[in-house]
Amino acid sequence: MTDLSAAGPALPRPGSAKRRSPLYLAWRRFAANKAALGAGIILLVIILMAIFAPLVSKTGPNEQAFLTKALAFPSSEHWFGIDDLGRDFFTRIVYGARVSLGIGLSAAVFSLLLGLPLGALAGYLGGRFDWVIMRIIELFSVVPPLLAALLLATLTRGGVWAIVLIAGLFGWVNVCLLVRAQVKSFREKEFIMAAQALGASPWHIVWRHLIPNSVSPVIVGFVLAIPLAMMLEASLSFLGIGVQPPTPSWGQMINVGMNFMYFYWHMAVFPVLALAVTILAASLLGDGLRDALDPTLKGR
Amino acid sequence: MLQFIIRRTLSMLATFFVVSVIIFLMMHAIPGGPFDGYEMPLPDNIKAKLMAQLGLDKPLWEQYVRYMWGVFHLDFGVPYQSPGETVMGLIAHAWVPSLVLGGLGVLIGAPIGILLGMAAALNRNSWIDYLASGIATLGLTIPVFVISTLLILVFAVWLHWTPASGWGEPRRWILPIMAYAAVPLATYARYARSAMLDTLNKPFVTVLRAKGLSERRIIFQHVLRNSAIPMITIFLPMFVGIATGSIFVEAIFRVPGLGAYFVSSIQKRDYPLEMALMLMISALFCISYLISDILYALLNPRIRLGGKAR
Amino acid sequence: MTAPALELRQITKRFDAQTVVDRVDLIVPRNEVVALVGESGSGKTTTGLMALRLVEPTAGRILLGGQDITDLSQKAMKPFRRQTQVVFQDSYSSLDPMMTLGEIIAEPLAIHAIGTPSERRDQARHWLERVGLDGSYATRYPHELSGGQRQRISVARALILGASVLVADEPTSALDVSVKAQIVNLLQDLQGEMGLSMLFISHDLSVVRSLADQVVVMLRGRVVERGPTDRIFAAAHHPYTRALLDAVPVIDPKTRRRRTFLSAEELAAGTPRFRPHEIEPQPLVDTADPQLVALVGSHFVEAIVTEGR
Repeated sequence: MTDLSAAGPALPRPGSAKRRSPLYLAWRRFAANKAALGAGIILLVIILMAIFAPLVSKTGPNEQAFLTKALAFPSSEHWFGIDDLGRDFFTRIVYGARVSLGIGLSAAVFSLLLGLPLGALAGYLGGRFDWVIMRIIELFSVVPPLLAALLLATLTRGGVWAIVLIAGLFGWVNVCLLVRAQVKSFREKEFIMAAQALGASPWHIVWRHLIPNSVSPVIVGFVLAIPLAMMLEASLSFLGIGVQPPTPSWGQMINVGMNFMYFYWHMAVFPVLALAVTILAASLLGDGLRDALDPTLKGR
Repeated sequence: MLQFIIRRTLSMLATFFVVSVIIFLMMHAIPGGPFDGYEMPLPDNIKAKLMAQLGLDKPLWEQYVRYMWGVFHLDFGVPYQSPGETVMGLIAHAWVPSLVLGGLGVLIGAPIGILLGMAAALNRNSWIDYLASGIATLGLTIPVFVISTLLILVFAVWLHWTPASGWGEPRRWILPIMAYAAVPLATYARYARSAMLDTLNKPFVTVLRAKGLSERRIIFQHVLRNSAIPMITIFLPMFVGIATGSIFVEAIFRVPGLGAYFVSSIQKRDYPLEMALMLMISALFCISYLISDILYALLNPRIRLGGKAR
Repeated sequence: MTAPALELRQITKRFDAQTVVDRVDLIVPRNEVVALVGESGSGKTTTGLMALRLVEPTAGRILLGGQDITDLSQKAMKPFRRQTQVVFQDSYSSLDPMMTLGEIIAEPLAIHAIGTPSERRDQARHWLERVGLDGSYATRYPHELSGGQRQRISVARALILGASVLVADEPTSALDVSVKAQIVNLLQDLQGEMGLSMLFISHDLSVVRSLADQVVVMLRGRVVERGPTDRIFAAAHHPYTRALLDAVPVIDPKTRRRRTFLSAEELAAGTPRFRPHEIEPQPLVDTADPQLVALVGSHFVEAIVTEGR
């Protein structure tokens, strides 16, 4: 490194400078975190498998192509075995990833749509609006989320979109708190005052300063909302009030697998592992991103 | 201090009021009353009579006031599914397994988690640190029904060490207690680790070391005391969360506890039971947060009393 | 006579029940540096922010070049924003971490829609060099700079629009001593070259002495003493000013410094007392409380005027 304390020494030409941007530094911190990087790669593989599910397996998720071999154990031909209704279990798991990740991502988008504007407004306006938002969040902390979700799921009679809505309803709180904290700390930053002193319009401040600086909490909030929603979907489906059969869902498969567990272990093990690995990967990725984007929070 | 307690109490009461109204309205928004959904629909006049008997024909706010009046006298009405009992009686009955198994889970999981977190903080970046972090992440991210299923698979199905369902003779308690213990263990491992690290990095610890105090005394007399505050304050809410019964643990291990009743009450559209459970659990959360806040204020000499509520 | 560059009349700020700035009068004449000194919490920063209309005063008037800007809307303020600028204490939080230094320096031009993007870039480079940094810094980010270098960037951003009034809010107090001197020199040079009028807020009297033409001392939101720099340093009357002066480090180790810490009682007891013939003839309020009275050579101090022996 060149000595930075001296005033104005000749420095490397621009061009090499691009790599030093704050986002690049965050990426380097992220890449140094092996667990998060590994989790990201695993998640990417799972996402690719979900997208290209028809290429990954020959049969459809609901095709009862192997009825004669129902409940067969894993083999080289059927990696995860066959389920009770004669469907290739690996295919079911792969298509289950579509449902699980799809719901996770949609719910995260929904959380963002609710949490981002509310958090930004609460942090920026402060005062009464902030008070109301914080009281609402307090309500959410007092109601047990799973029970409420259960209730809402019965109320809406389940289904994919109901679950997305419910997960978003409980997911926005985190996003909102993250964005609010960022915007709030931001309001006290002096470069905002400097911009005001320059006569910058509120629009300029939001566009040039607020949005670029809020990228990190938004990314972190988004990624961390995914495993939460996936967990909720699996939980509701496990209880039979989430995604309805024959749509393949891991939670549902675990529920069915429980009944066969004593004799046909593969029926329970694979959906359990699929869910655990995916949720774990998404959480580790989110934690890693948080540490990389906001080094001050490290170790929390 | 008194002013702080009063303000927090009032704020919690307000929160609880709003929650109770929301729960009440949600219950009434559920399509279909208790007399729908049978194979043979009741004649309309009988239905109306039954509705009047249960007070379901009154305006909503009146129903709410009547209901809450009853609640303050611990009268939650009669469950639709078993009219011979009261909701209160049913809950009192169902509470026992949840409290015993969940309580034991917390009491076993929390100390292990604290020890693990402490060991991790004192041996940073050693294998024990990685182990603790790994366990904490697993316990906090993997849904409890996944953990429960894996426990059954490993200990009951493959190893045949324990029975798979969990109430009755104490031998059956082992697996559900392990499942219950997972969350407190993971939470405390993470909390204890970060609280200890926080304290260990404070300048006053360096000063103590410079004074030549033995590492043992530093940790047991100074660091522990300073790290204890956050750990104490999260205990109650967590205890409430777990001892009110996990739907999943109880469903999987067939424990006849609160969680199990909650699921069945939802499936059977049993408003009184559902509402009573939701209200009671919310109220317990409110109280536990309130006590935690007050404890925090009492234990932390630096907190600014009379300051704005968080 | 031309109007002063900046004038505050009876400016007051109350937050809730607390009066942070209490009826302060302040004049920054053209081409002069006025130092506003006092300990943290004395209201000096709030006063500076009110001068820029970044904090709205509860009462009082703000005049910029003789024009009253107190009630202008933020939109109507915009042309005046080109004349007044600010440099803050915390060089890190005053620069947006997500922008390159070139973008930061050129931001004022962009806000006021001056020039094309490439002209703005050239201007930014020009100003980088003018504050003593290499032009290649334009593509770097704030986190790559030292505190002193960041403060140079703040200065460049403040002056690129050709401001005539600069409010510098403790621009050197977060810096090392050697770097501090560089920034003070830079401000001094630019002040001379551009004919700047400056309100220099500081608690560092050694810096104030080398930079300021006048000194205004604030204590708990009130002006307790003000006058030409040499008068203040030579003949401070108020006990608080003297305590501040005593706190200035002395180079000679043999000179023992008197450390003076004052409690509220000591301050009250130490408030200077004058008989009417000892001060300049002036209209006085008939009160037993301390009031600002004029001494010889436009030196003012908060004192009690008594008729007694």
